[in-house]
Amino acid sequence: MPAPGKMGCGKEMGRGPYEKAGLIRDTALPPHRTIIETFEIPFPHEKIEQGKEIYGKPLCNEMDIDVELWYVPFGEKEGPAARWNQLWKKLTKRVTID
Amino acid sequence: MRSFKSVLIFACLGLPWMIGCPEANADPAGKKAKSIDELAARYDVSSCKECHEEIYEQWEASAHAKSIFGIGARTAATIGTTITKGLMTWPYSGVKKPEDVKVKHLMLCAKCHLPQLEEATDDVAQEIVKAVFGLWDKAIKKESVKKLRKINVNCLICHQKKAITHKWAQGFPQKDAVYGSQEGAHEDENYPNMKKSEILHESVFCGQCHGLGPNFEFEQPSQCATAYGSYLFAYVSEGGHETCQSCHIRKLNKGHVMPAYRDPDMAAAALRFEVDAFGYYWRKNKVEGVTPLAVVRVEMTNKTGHEIPDG
Repeated sequence: MPAPGKMGCGKEMGRGPYEKAGLIRDTALPPHRTIIETFEIPFPHEKIEQGKEIYGKPLCNEMDIDVELWYVPFGEKEGPAARWNQLWKKLTKRVTID
Repeated sequence: MRSFKSVLIFACLGLPWMIGCPEANADPAGKKAKSIDELAARYDVSSCKECHEEIYEQWEASAHAKSIFGIGARTAATIGTTITKGLMTWPYSGVKKPEDVKVKHLMLCAKCHLPQLEEATDDVAQEIVKAVFGLWDKAIKKESVKKLRKINVNCLICHQKKAITHKWAQGFPQKDAVYGSQEGAHEDENYPNMKKSEILHESVFCGQCHGLGPNFEFEQPSQCATAYGSYLFAYVSEGGHETCQSCHIRKLNKGHVMPAYRDPDMAAAALRFEVDAFGYYWRKNKVEGVTPLAVVRVEMTNKTGHEIPDG
């Protein structure tokens, strides 16, 4: 998402078209390029001591992980402005661990 | 000899005026519209429907047809906040209250959302302001919606008013002509001529409104869309060569709806989205030990001609 400057002055972001000017930061997806994001999600687990080591014993061996890409124009996942949000893509992946 | 010099100077100063001004304005007499109804009548496109029914209906379903009201009144709401959070808070805007808003203030938005507003008096600006705030007043909400829906970016904005970008080279849009892909006669009482536009099929045409960034021509620059800037400096520079019209009109047969991300087909075509995931035991540190972890790798390729989203 582009983060425009507030009237182009300093590092504060502006929101409305009446004050936006230029860009401070841009995390939008650029054209013709592949962006890779990596997420790490621990399995639910309990800690077990084995000798001097601590091991995480998974409470389940499978997780279905929903990956959703949202357009959130006003930066709020919930609340009144969330009505403008749009789910773009959703994929579910099953991950297993022995 | 002195009188000859005077005539020559008058001719030099007068020529650009004679060439430029009468055709630059949609109204040949240069008279400004004094009401929303008058402005709407001046840009009435109902006759277009008689011969171009399918295109007209596509346009009716487009965001262009709601350019001042917006989808879900979002544009009108933003015009409202431009007044309350912008204009009324700035010491040198000349606006202390909504009643002070003039055409020049609304042009920050109207440059693209209602370019014909430049042909209207401040009375029209006030009518728009009242209608915008009227959307939140139960007593006049219905009337306000009706008013704001009368004015928009329609056939005449693209095929007439904005059909020529380089007016010194290609001339000003003729008042009696509509611009498209052909030359010839046009069966319309008000627009009996059809002219070939040099740019209607080019990205630069859309770039007039779909944004390079700050609109520096204003005393207080506004910034809305930045899609054209991204197209030029991020897409073309990466080897992209499609036009805006190619994707938004032709490829998916969307015609004059010209949809963007809200259209499921456009959203589907815009992005390659792939997810890979696996699990492993991660040895974090001595205190926390070994943790069972899922790693999710998301790969996204933007296949459009601009960043997603822009702004």
